[in-house]
Amino acid sequence: MRDEHMKMITLEKVSFLFKNSNLEIIDSISFQANKGEFISIVGPSGCGKSTLLRIIAGLITPTSGRVFFGNKEITEPNRKIAFVFQDFALLPWLTNQDNVKIGLSRSEMSDEAKDKKASELLDRFGLSGFEGYYPNALSGGMKQRVGIARSIASDPQVLLMDEPFSSLDELTANSLRSDIIYMLENKNISVNAVIMVTHNVEEAVELSDKIVVLSDKPSRVKEIIKVSGARPRDKRSKQFADYVDRIYSVLAQD
Amino acid sequence: MDFIALVLQLVLDTSASWVRMFIALGISVLISIVVGIYAAVSPKAEKIILPVVDILQTIPILAFFPFALFVFVVILPGYIGINAAVIFLIITSMVWNIIFGVYESIKTIPREFLEVSDLYDFDRFERLKKIYIPAAMPRIVEQSILSWSIGLFYLVTSEIFSVGASNEQVKYGIGVAFASLAYQGAIPYLIGIAVFVVFVIATRFLFFRPLEEYSTRHIRSQQKVQQGNAPRYERALLGWVSRRISSAPMIIKSNRIVKGRKHISRVPVVEERRDLKILGYAVVVLLVAGALYTFASNPVLLGYESQVLPALAASFARVWLAFAIMLAISVPLCVYLIFMSKYGRKYMLLFQIAASIPATILLPAIAVTIKQGELVALVVFILSGIWYLIFSIMASVRTMPQNVFEVSRIFGVKGTNAWKNIYLKAILPGLVTGALTGIAAEWNASIVAEYFTTSGVTGTTNVVSSVGVGIGKLLDLSLAPGGQGIGLMMVALLNLVVMILLVNTFVWKKLYNKVTKVYAG
Repeated sequence: MRDEHMKMITLEKVSFLFKNSNLEIIDSISFQANKGEFISIVGPSGCGKSTLLRIIAGLITPTSGRVFFGNKEITEPNRKIAFVFQDFALLPWLTNQDNVKIGLSRSEMSDEAKDKKASELLDRFGLSGFEGYYPNALSGGMKQRVGIARSIASDPQVLLMDEPFSSLDELTANSLRSDIIYMLENKNISVNAVIMVTHNVEEAVELSDKIVVLSDKPSRVKEIIKVSGARPRDKRSKQFADYVDRIYSVLAQD
Repeated sequence: MDFIALVLQLVLDTSASWVRMFIALGISVLISIVVGIYAAVSPKAEKIILPVVDILQTIPILAFFPFALFVFVVILPGYIGINAAVIFLIITSMVWNIIFGVYESIKTIPREFLEVSDLYDFDRFERLKKIYIPAAMPRIVEQSILSWSIGLFYLVTSEIFSVGASNEQVKYGIGVAFASLAYQGAIPYLIGIAVFVVFVIATRFLFFRPLEEYSTRHIRSQQKVQQGNAPRYERALLGWVSRRISSAPMIIKSNRIVKGRKHISRVPVVEERRDLKILGYAVVVLLVAGALYTFASNPVLLGYESQVLPALAASFARVWLAFAIMLAISVPLCVYLIFMSKYGRKYMLLFQIAASIPATILLPAIAVTIKQGELVALVVFILSGIWYLIFSIMASVRTMPQNVFEVSRIFGVKGTNAWKNIYLKAILPGLVTGALTGIAAEWNASIVAEYFTTSGVTGTTNVVSSVGVGIGKLLDLSLAPGGQGIGLMMVALLNLVVMILLVNTFVWKKLYNKVTKVYAG
């Protein structure tokens, strides 16, 4: 049983309407991410998954409902919750090292210490030697590594990922997924809960402990499916295929 | 009654100016169609036309107005000559970007269209009528809108300038009207500005808007998907400024001409750029060498040069001081509007309208009120250039990565960190293009900003404001009765052009290339 202090992120009946059109995007979504959990949010494209993730990050204020980090309500972005963007969102005019240093903006460290930490992080993601280059010079997979290095630089406890692999080709995405699993399983990282938005069902089953399946327009929680089994998971196993089938059938239900 | 008479007079004056504008626009479009299509279909012509147009459009052509006036008045009788000079000048401000517009649309015609014309055996005329001109039409209209607002600046400035010489004055024109309104107090002047602004806005909505809708009727839905909702005018301006610094083939490359005709795609793009660069340098070197040789061997020219260099230096200092002040105002303003204010983007329309009203319409009022020559020049320089800078910086929002705002909020980028790593760097591309066009506008304004007379209005020689020395003043005076004439003027123009080309090549092109290299992608 998980006890109260184990919960990291809690959503309580979060709803969101577009101000102009009064179009309801998100309708009363509640779920909880506990310590050590990897949660995926899957749903049809355009169903408001990314908006939901931005609400959790504190970038967008929900029309109603609340989001908690531990017992504290999230009203604006904070250093314990980091974000990985779909299209990397590296600042093109900063070198890779300076981009990672952006992740340390709230830190009180000296500039030298930030430099040191940034190059250690880049090294950890196999990017040593690229510190002085601009993001422009990197491939998509390398850019997203810089993006992830930036997001974990401030030692966050929660990592939010918005379709982090969907801008990458399948081979690159695969190897980056393995890196993420490796990073999370080797406990030398501050992150102890991940919430990822994806439209890729296989990816969700490969990585997650819990999969939140959303409906379309407005987004409601259709079902929360628990996935068991140690990672890395065998994608060819029957168990894996069963999970995938089950999620597809939930998605197809009306 | 007075009020009605004044408004009627102003409407008449503005209409006269507008007639000049429409004639100039019509001729510009015709020239552009011929030159643009020729450059696009003939590889040989392309190699000559593009670099020439590229250089011509970076020269502050208004400085040539005294020269043009001189030539046209010699060739054509009195009033016709003056009007021809004004129209010629407006054409030289309007035509370049339309040429590039035509050229680019022809180059990007899908090969299938040309294959169709081959299959059905179109002759030259049919090809022109059924393929080239319709394909170029949307860009022609888009670029004409931009040309119109650039042309207005030239129109007003040249009309105001013509007032300085009593025997070579444009009779009816809004610029002329402003010169005399300056003596009649604030209210008539404001009415004058109001009439002008009404004309500007009416032209935009009653003439260009329907034209724009007609010319794009078949592609509008498609373009919406491709281009998002960036306003056409804004896009046109951005294309124009970036062309002013980069060479045209670079842009064609980004438009992917792979689909173009066979003989076009065979031309290696990179090589062509190098050709252009070498040609550009060669022109500069040739000019410098030729000038040095001629001057060293001719005491008269050497004498001219000794007047021109200090004047050029003084104007240079003035222009750059004004630029520094423009920066000090527009950078904090734009950073505030883009990054801090909630309503920043809503000011764009305001800037668009402000940018299309030529700052020189304020010149007579400023000159008559301030009188102090140096200050007048500085104020007019700032007003002439600052809109380009603000406009261009504001437009750089669109080239910024979408998530820059989210990134700074997520990671809590604030204070000096934000200024250093986000604000200043994010606006840098817009700042570079805006600086280039802003400074060009300043040089253009120099012939009226540095030396403003209203002899034509008052009947007697009446210098309202004048700087100590300056290239604009020198150009004006060389033409005036008792001046040193055409020789001095040509030496001054040569110096000005060489200086502009040097600064463009060694400052702006370098900066621009560096910025686009890092920022692209």
